[in-house]
Amino acid sequence: MKQLITLNINNEDYDVIVTPMDLLVDVVRKTIGLTGTKKGCGQGDCGACTMLIDGKPELSCLKLAITAVGKKITTIEGIANEDGTLHPIQEAFLDHGAVQCGFCTPGMILSSKALVDRNPNPTMKEIKTALAGNTCRCTGYINILAAVESYAKAVAEKEAK
Amino acid sequence: MNILSNFQYHAPKTKKEVLELLADIGDKSKMLAGGTDLIIMLKEKMITTENLINIGDVEELAGIKFVDGGVEIGACTKIADIEDSKELVKDYNALVFAAGQLGSYQVRTMATLGGNISHSSPAAETPTPLAAMNAMVVIEGKNGERTVKAEEFILGNRKNVLESDEMVTKFFIPAPAPHSASVYGHIGLRNAMEIDAVNMAVNVELEDDKKTIKTVKLVMGSVSPKPIVSEAVPALINGKVLDEALIEAVGEAAMSEAKPISDVRASAEYRKDVVGALARRLTKEAYELAMEA
Amino acid sequence: MGKMYEVSNRYNNYRDYTKEFTEVGRSIRRPDGPAKVKGAVQYTDDLTLPRMVYGKLLRTKHAHANIIKIDYSKALELDGVLAVITGEDCPIPYGIVPHNANEHALAVGKVRNWGEPVAAVAAITEEIAEKALELIEVEYEVLEALVDPREAVKRDDVRIHEDAPNNICYEGVQVYGDPDGAFEKSDYILEQDYYSSYVNHGFIEPQSALADFDVATGKLHLYATCQVPHYTHQQLAKVLEMPLSKIRITVPLIGGGFGGKGVASQADFCASLLSRKIGRPVKITYERSEVFAANNGRHPCYMKMKLGFDKTGKITACDFTNLMDGGAYAGWGIVVLFYTASMIHIPYMVPNVRFDGKRIYTNKPTCGAFRGLGGVQPRFAMEQMLDQAAAHFGMDPYEIRMLNAAESGYTAMSKMYIPHTEYKKCLTECVEKSGYKEKHGKMPFGKGIGLSGGYYISGTSYTLYLSYKPHTVATIKVDEENDVTVYCGATDIGQGVDMVMAQMAAETLGVKTEDVTVIPRDTKISTFDLGTFASRLTFATGWAIRQAAEKINAELKPVAAGMLGIRGEEVEVQGGEFYNIYKPHKRVPWREVVSAYIQTNGPLSMTGQFTPPRRKGIQQGGNIGHSPTFGFSAQIAEVDVDLETGKINVVKITEAGDCGVAINPQSVEGQVHGSIQMGMGQALYEEMKIAPDGTFLNPSFHDYKLPTALDMPEIDANIVEAYDPSAPYGAKESGEGPIQPTIPAIFNAVYDAIGVRFTEMPLTPEKVLNAIKEQKAKGVF
Repeated sequence: MKQLITLNINNEDYDVIVTPMDLLVDVVRKTIGLTGTKKGCGQGDCGACTMLIDGKPELSCLKLAITAVGKKITTIEGIANEDGTLHPIQEAFLDHGAVQCGFCTPGMILSSKALVDRNPNPTMKEIKTALAGNTCRCTGYINILAAVESYAKAVAEKEAK
Repeated sequence: MNILSNFQYHAPKTKKEVLELLADIGDKSKMLAGGTDLIIMLKEKMITTENLINIGDVEELAGIKFVDGGVEIGACTKIADIEDSKELVKDYNALVFAAGQLGSYQVRTMATLGGNISHSSPAAETPTPLAAMNAMVVIEGKNGERTVKAEEFILGNRKNVLESDEMVTKFFIPAPAPHSASVYGHIGLRNAMEIDAVNMAVNVELEDDKKTIKTVKLVMGSVSPKPIVSEAVPALINGKVLDEALIEAVGEAAMSEAKPISDVRASAEYRKDVVGALARRLTKEAYELAMEA
Repeated sequence: MGKMYEVSNRYNNYRDYTKEFTEVGRSIRRPDGPAKVKGAVQYTDDLTLPRMVYGKLLRTKHAHANIIKIDYSKALELDGVLAVITGEDCPIPYGIVPHNANEHALAVGKVRNWGEPVAAVAAITEEIAEKALELIEVEYEVLEALVDPREAVKRDDVRIHEDAPNNICYEGVQVYGDPDGAFEKSDYILEQDYYSSYVNHGFIEPQSALADFDVATGKLHLYATCQVPHYTHQQLAKVLEMPLSKIRITVPLIGGGFGGKGVASQADFCASLLSRKIGRPVKITYERSEVFAANNGRHPCYMKMKLGFDKTGKITACDFTNLMDGGAYAGWGIVVLFYTASMIHIPYMVPNVRFDGKRIYTNKPTCGAFRGLGGVQPRFAMEQMLDQAAAHFGMDPYEIRMLNAAESGYTAMSKMYIPHTEYKKCLTECVEKSGYKEKHGKMPFGKGIGLSGGYYISGTSYTLYLSYKPHTVATIKVDEENDVTVYCGATDIGQGVDMVMAQMAAETLGVKTEDVTVIPRDTKISTFDLGTFASRLTFATGWAIRQAAEKINAELKPVAAGMLGIRGEEVEVQGGEFYNIYKPHKRVPWREVVSAYIQTNGPLSMTGQFTPPRRKGIQQGGNIGHSPTFGFSAQIAEVDVDLETGKINVVKITEAGDCGVAINPQSVEGQVHGSIQMGMGQALYEEMKIAPDGTFLNPSFHDYKLPTALDMPEIDANIVEAYDPSAPYGAKESGEGPIQPTIPAIFNAVYDAIGVRFTEMPLTPEKVLNAIKEQKAKGVF
């Protein structure tokens, strides 16, 4: 039943022993110890467990770890620059007061980054749509939306140059 | 509950392997595509299974392909790929819009078109537009391939026409007729993440005069165990030019056919009212779009 | 140094304090922000300890049943199961209010709500623990469940608690002035029934507890998601029969609380009991359904409110009857009951008041403390009635509020005293910013605009048990190695109090906020604090920190003066330098002064404290609701009603708030945005649904609907110019006042849109559509 699999997380290979029943969120948090990914509801409703799978946001609480073999997994720990300085989306969240308790923040940042990666010029409606699956109970989303908007603008300006 | 009961995991790489597995153990298996419904049901112990067949990595089952007379969409095509498809949005707007209303973006990057219809929830988003656009569901099994109309696929709450050795492999949606348009709408409490109280798709085709309705297809979801294709609405407006009085009558006609239930999300009475509202709005909207098509 | 804050209304004494701030009033980035955006912060469930095992709770499906027998022998036989405990292991009841503590870590003899835990398992993996739960056999005698307090209060034959006749948890009557006489003389009287709904906090981080009992020393170290570590500390000592000194509670960062984590959780007790039993660390983390079973959310209230007015529109009397649905246990119940009594005395002047309230037990998850507790419910009634009265008098809803609004220095009939308010400024500012007067009553059918006001306490006057000790203590240490270290037990639940404390300490000490380290949330190493509730922290810890910092300055200034060659009172400190107030270019670095001090005098640390003024209430429960000061908020909601589906779209909310001086304006704004989101959710769709047999129908975020990013209105949040001279740095609460007006503002806007008054939450499309159909039948549109 148990088997050895390799998960590529934030560009590093992790060899882990799992059963087919093990969920990706638990393997990443408990077995591997990357606890930045959060568990808020266990049913795919809150988005706290969001990870990027081959660049696309997925819910790690509804994903069997074994189905992530061979894919590139990005967690919140893989967003900052390699030297430990913050990624511009992370800076934008702090500048705009988009972080309060911080529990939704990892998933929120991953969904935001994935949005701007696929759509560098999102409208406010598109930002809201992309983040509708990430629940925040502290901020009323207002400052989060402002952070994502400013980050997207910065990316678009950079690309225009 | 967090823990899934034991199952044997299978990860076939080709359609042929999937079909062989189904022939062998289909009656003791569940198919895993995106998992956004299945994993919740396994977690909550609503179901158990001896075998889990992951078809999510079978590449030949996914993809959008334009063919003679229409488009083929593989069963494992992600909902988000439909939502984001610049090619589909032109002629298959109702489906693309419905895809964008399903769950959250994360759910849409995981969930598949085949999974959405095979799960056969009464509140599913995509079966209504598929039926309105006259889509055909292609089913394969050990005895070969067969095709059913989208509206005939779902038989009831989580019941459909699939035999235990069969699976949905793709959908065929015919190219829209000239002077036609299809639209989708839904009502829930919030603007996102909703399990719809009611959803509906309407396809209107006009005569060459671009005024007279040649044919209308109105499909309602979430108001009965399976999508309802309206008979009263075509009987009422086929061959006619739409006006305000007819729009009112369309609402009444659709309401008379809906058979909703009361549950934790909405009462039957309210669902009927919303059927009327959606039928009026969507018919008008589809009609106007068809005039410009 | 004298006592910083006297029990006094003579707030003019505090005028000497400067209003020119450098660290206070800055929207600095949160010090915990970088770790949070990198996913590096550890919340309770992120912690692991060597030899740690997992605990799980077995929860009942029955809402009301006697426990006949629990057989867990098969569970114990399962490989990897280390221990099972039941109610027999925790017979001592606990509760946040010791007066009627009646909860147990695990049900004793009887279950009283769906999801109440009856047994707990510790096992080497979570999987095994969950499997073990399935092997525990519980035999129940199912009893009739009471889920409606209006019925429960009549059913003495079905007692949820044997010692509570008619299922009355607590009741109280308060009469101030002569309400009956005043009504007789009133020119206009309004009377209406209201219902406020059953909602949950919806914080995203489920409760979690990690207990580490060291058998060798007999000491327990609990890591827990807890807003009130001090009160949990006391209750753990009681239930575990251990001295306080052998228990240490550390609160890691918390993923949202909103009052929901303002009680000890059953996970706290069960993890501790299991850990003591097996001598290994045990972690229990709730699933979302368990969060709903634990609840502690807002009390649904069946309210009857009667308001009298004189011919000018001035309120003459209020008669308020409140039947509160308390759910299964006492919890914060008594406190919430009397908060609803106190909340009608402010922000309007009400010269005659009667309150008659009962809190009733029902077979539902217990209600307790939820952001703005006790205020949201009566505000919902009163703010709608003010609009109705305004219409009667032909006044603008803004004018009637201005006419009745209390001003600084007002003493209510209940003896609640408002040292400072800019409530009128709040009303005026949001009316002007939103264009309310141009829009109200003038928009097409289906579009509407509504005004409401509100206020909240900024602390309490009493502890929950009889004690005269300070409510909070702060110790500041300055040294060469760490600059400034502030020890304070205040609990950051996400609102940013760690940062606010650092800003306040830096302000008085004259250093940069970045030079301050706060050591909070640990009953062993930080100082005493009652906890995060009643929006008390900025005010209470603010005074304690200020007092400690001024004591430090009193020590350092003479040293600096010596170095500058001037007299002690000629020295000030700012920006990391002491300077001559007459010759500001003569300066000496703060760090050099600290070094000089320590080399001559030794280490330097000072302690400040805060005890609120005791404004004793004169009637039963009348102590509750008193606060050193109050925060105010006014809001205007604009809505667009879909006339065919009844769906309400909240388009915009304009807010103006009086929080005194905003210590961190960006954080104040964040509190306002979050409050509006919560208020809107309760107004429109959030609701816990309980079947007649007590079954919880929607214990998930699938069907308990929190507003998403796509549901949010545009928000224009404004902080009005204000300075509360009785408050440290002029600052008051901003976390609970702003939720008070949101719901009635939306309801008033819906009235403006379709001409129908709704008296029950939530405002579902179904209710709205039915009302629109009636309006249509009447030919209104």
